[in-house]
Amino acid sequence: MFSSPLIETNDLGKVYSTGRIQVKALDGINLSVPKGAFLGIAGPSGSGKSTLMNLLGGLDTPTSGSIQVAGRMVSSLNHKELALYRRFQVGMIFQSFNIIPAYTAKENVALPLLFSGVPKRERLRRAEAVLSLVGLEERKDHRPSELSGGEQQRVAVARALINSPDILLADEPTGNLDSRTSQGILNLLQEMNRTQNLTVLLISHEGYLLKKYADDIIYLHDGRVRESEAVE
Amino acid sequence: MRVVDSLEQALSNLWKKKLRTFLTTFGVVIGIGALVSMISFGQGVQYNVTDRFQKLDLFNYITVFPAGMQSPFSGERAGSSAESPRSVLDDDSLKEITALEGVESAFPEVRFPARIQFREKTRFSLVQVMPAAVAATELVKLRAGASFADDYSLSLIISDSLLTEMGITDPDSVIGEEITLLTLMLDLSRLNLSDMSSLFQNGKLPFSEQSHRFTIAGVAERMGFGGPTPLRSDVYIPSGTAADIPTISLTSIWDFFRSSGSADEYSMVNVKVDSPRAVDRVKAFAEEKGFQSFALIDQLEEIRTGFVFMDMFLAAVGMIALVVASLGIVNTMVMAILERTREIGIMKAVGAGDGDIRKIFLFEAGLIGLAGGVFGLCLGWIVTTAINWIINGILARQGIPFVDYFYFPRWLNMGSIVFSILVSLIAGLYPMQRAARVDPVVALRHD
Repeated sequence: MFSSPLIETNDLGKVYSTGRIQVKALDGINLSVPKGAFLGIAGPSGSGKSTLMNLLGGLDTPTSGSIQVAGRMVSSLNHKELALYRRFQVGMIFQSFNIIPAYTAKENVALPLLFSGVPKRERLRRAEAVLSLVGLEERKDHRPSELSGGEQQRVAVARALINSPDILLADEPTGNLDSRTSQGILNLLQEMNRTQNLTVLLISHEGYLLKKYADDIIYLHDGRVRESEAVE
Repeated sequence: MRVVDSLEQALSNLWKKKLRTFLTTFGVVIGIGALVSMISFGQGVQYNVTDRFQKLDLFNYITVFPAGMQSPFSGERAGSSAESPRSVLDDDSLKEITALEGVESAFPEVRFPARIQFREKTRFSLVQVMPAAVAATELVKLRAGASFADDYSLSLIISDSLLTEMGITDPDSVIGEEITLLTLMLDLSRLNLSDMSSLFQNGKLPFSEQSHRFTIAGVAERMGFGGPTPLRSDVYIPSGTAADIPTISLTSIWDFFRSSGSADEYSMVNVKVDSPRAVDRVKAFAEEKGFQSFALIDQLEEIRTGFVFMDMFLAAVGMIALVVASLGIVNTMVMAILERTREIGIMKAVGAGDGDIRKIFLFEAGLIGLAGGVFGLCLGWIVTTAINWIINGILARQGIPFVDYFYFPRWLNMGSIVFSILVSLIAGLYPMQRAARVDPVVALRHD
């Protein structure tokens, strides 16, 4: 199971420069995540959790080191290849859901398919299928303003899963939700992790949730991995 | 991303901001409307002058007239010295001109005043003699009836404006009807040169009136631009018939003194050639014989250069509105990007490439351009039609026939829409590039 890791980072670093000030957001991160893992990432705010997520999600590029996903050097992909990587290999969910208010749940879920040229009818059919997977088939024609926070996050999960990615990156997905709803979302992620062998990386600052759901947790502090501990 | 989807995305984005889309598009509508109105005016003038001349074959006409005579076109005295012996433009010269290579026909400009009697009404008019072959060309635009059957038929062509003057509005109704021409001729029997006083004593001028009966063969449209066309009258009769009518073939007292008694001297000969190349041959002949000549084609280059400048000026004026409109597009789209930064970030996060984002914005700009072009063209049509009616309404009171001052060739209709889209796309380039460069990390933090 641990023989060939799905995600591997080597001395990964990210420096933000604003004018003369340089901020080291990440400094020498070495990660190895096997396929099908549920990894928790913890750390105080400003520790570099989100930066790591953005690099792994292909939204940003590292200033040093490398990222390899499924044997491909993600850190050296060009703009176009990165877009394809984001479209097919990773799905991301965020604390603020990031779904488009003007679209219905179904249209939001179908959005990634728009860019791969899937015909509209097919897009919506597949979106409905994924929505029923996350338990939202009844709400498919509702707009975000008519949905609860938990339902909105489920829409985001469905959208992240529509292209059947290898990895799901969840950046504080429960930050805006009450604890009962939070558990519902995380149960959903756990179910996907177990039934579809989906690799999940979960950022949270709520340690008890990480301990409950993650197989493994890493702690980030000032852009470095402080310690890694296995649950149980 | 499929074209259909880009189009749908762009349409729904524009639809979401209806007022802004409408205002931006309206700017383009005004810009394109102004531009096409200006250009169609330039085209109209050009069409009314050169194209119409070309259609009427006027560039294949050349006028030859004796030296020392005032040019009927320029107003200045044509060339030459009073000392050199004056060449006489008579039947012999006419034959020589006709014999030149490339000359189709040559007919003297013969006009005489006559009283026209028709349906108990009488009007004075100039009658012009015209060979049947010339009358059958497009030069004479018939509104009813036909041209003369041959050079010896007793039929004539009358202009619609003369009919209108007589209170007849339906040209078809007069075809085949009889009409009388009353001409004056010098009656030598009444002219007693030894005793000029007798002329006044018996109260009669040495003229007698002759009446000639014709049937109306056709009704012609009066030319709006009389200038260089060989049509300068309201009544045309065939040349063979005219030869049998004794007249005083002069149109001014000047001709009377100038003609020096020679009966068959012409004040002007209209020459029709088969190609503009033959014009030079006729000109060379005229020069050799000491005649003056005037060919419209000589003015063509000058006219064309003038049109290019006029078109450029008109287009520049029209472009001002379009440039302002395109700035409106840039403004609208930059605003849209600011509003939609988060949306762009989301799209990128779920796998949209820079190209996909570009496409959406480019389609939005293109759609504004398309709508602006189509409605701008409509606006141009409406405005120019209105202006045309107003101008013609005013000029009609001065007896000037209806003329389309604006002309929309097909390339202008097609081109204005294409141009509108093109300008809008160019205006959309910067916003498009800016949208594609949105950093998703920053955009997703954006509120």
